[in-house]
Amino acid sequence: MAKLSYFDCNCSIGRAPYPYLHDISDVTGLKREMAAAGIEEALVYHTLARDCAPPLGNSLLDEAIRGVQGLYPVWVVLPHHTREMPAPACLLKDLESSGVKAVRMYPTKDFHSFSMAEWNSGELLAALEERRVPLMLDIEIVWWESIVTIMQNHPRLPLIATNVSYRHNRFTYPLFDRFPNLYVETSRYFGAGIYEDVVRRFGSRPILFGTNMPRFTGTAAISMLTYADIPRKDKEAIAGENLRNLLKGAFS
Amino acid sequence: MKEYFDRIHEGLSVDDVEIIDFHAHLGPYFNMHIPVNDPEGMVRLMDRCGINKTIISTNSAFSSDPVFGNNLMLEAIKAHRGRLYGACAVNGNYPDLSLEELDRCFEADRNVVLIKIHPFLSMCKMTDPRMKHIYEYASAHKLFILAHTWLDNDPFGSLDLFETVAAEYPDIRWLMGHSGGPFAGHRAVAIAQSLPNVFLDLTISFCPARQIEFFIEQVGSERILFGTDNPFIDPRPQIGRVFLADISKSDMVNIVGGNARRHIQFN
Repeated sequence: MAKLSYFDCNCSIGRAPYPYLHDISDVTGLKREMAAAGIEEALVYHTLARDCAPPLGNSLLDEAIRGVQGLYPVWVVLPHHTREMPAPACLLKDLESSGVKAVRMYPTKDFHSFSMAEWNSGELLAALEERRVPLMLDIEIVWWESIVTIMQNHPRLPLIATNVSYRHNRFTYPLFDRFPNLYVETSRYFGAGIYEDVVRRFGSRPILFGTNMPRFTGTAAISMLTYADIPRKDKEAIAGENLRNLLKGAFS
Repeated sequence: MKEYFDRIHEGLSVDDVEIIDFHAHLGPYFNMHIPVNDPEGMVRLMDRCGINKTIISTNSAFSSDPVFGNNLMLEAIKAHRGRLYGACAVNGNYPDLSLEELDRCFEADRNVVLIKIHPFLSMCKMTDPRMKHIYEYASAHKLFILAHTWLDNDPFGSLDLFETVAAEYPDIRWLMGHSGGPFAGHRAVAIAQSLPNVFLDLTISFCPARQIEFFIEQVGSERILFGTDNPFIDPRPQIGRVFLADISKSDMVNIVGGNARRHIQFN
């Protein structure tokens, strides 16, 4: 089997307040981890956009990865009500002009203290849905009930649930057929035989390759996929083609 | 390791080094769907990536009934000679029953090779007096105990509690399950550095970047054991972690099977 072409949807730069072991926080460190695992391309956000201030972190991200081959920006966004971020129409123009490929949101009181409900995030979600800009939500922050509500209200919005683990099948299986724009990423998607089971039941469509580098090593997600007993075309889809196709549709 | 880069990326199983999985399970678990959790399926996953031998305790032994779970373990290792080996599960809340289980399982099958405890699921502290006879049994037989540990806030199996009992029972070889979790790396190596009877476990689903390199640098590869959590977690990610790590081949050989061979007699 020739090597797959990987496009990782879940990478970051920037320091974290609670590192595991090593201070791998810059582009050089991320690229080194990518090379060690054999990953060519990645969507990247800045941890300061999550842990300090979205506009500041997004700006640092753009500066850090501008011109770096294989790295593409993901902004962290907020609803516009406090005017920390522009109104949705303006924000979408900024995203497109800055080459942003997807966005992340961190609601709940423990993160950015807003709600994903329509009264708070509805306008922003509608704008993202309109332009088919992928939204990434950490499942440990936005639980499945909220994901379902978002997908019901915004069925054309591509929604990528990150940090989905081996414990989530009883949540995800009823949703894969029902919501064709719902995706899960693979940094902790390590249930025994999960790729074979999901591909057999639902196809490879819902799975996007992700590693959470450089916090995690990318090598674990790699061998989970290379050793999967699924057809080559499904491996290619999971490794990168699903994400590439999704991004082609963005800002359309 | 560059030597294995192409092999892993081509999806070819590792076939030139013995791989022994020191930390695995068997069967269903109450709060999750596990697509492949039967012994045959587990062996199939082992074959897919090149794992030769796996030491199992059952999920049900900790979430429900240790006797029921140990019976499943004994059946599985009997059905898969040379591939599956047993860890006798005990629970400090049942001190007499636990001693009976140790006698029963180790007498029933010589392929039962270690003891597994799960302080968090049993809600029995590692320092609970009811654990004493289990530890005395393990000391007398110079056995390994694989203890689930997870971060410092685990009230039943924190690294402080683990360190206390590991120091108190130096004849037991202690495998620190999950090495305390992803945030516990520095504390885990400090304990292993101070207690020569402590070994670090690689089993984890949160896979910190360069953790294996860090462990080798701090405690040496002779004190690290390969594990996967199969089928709680698929074993295949752990192969990439070790074989694509920036480590020497001799360190890799120690970790994936050499150390297990030195400490356990596999029949």
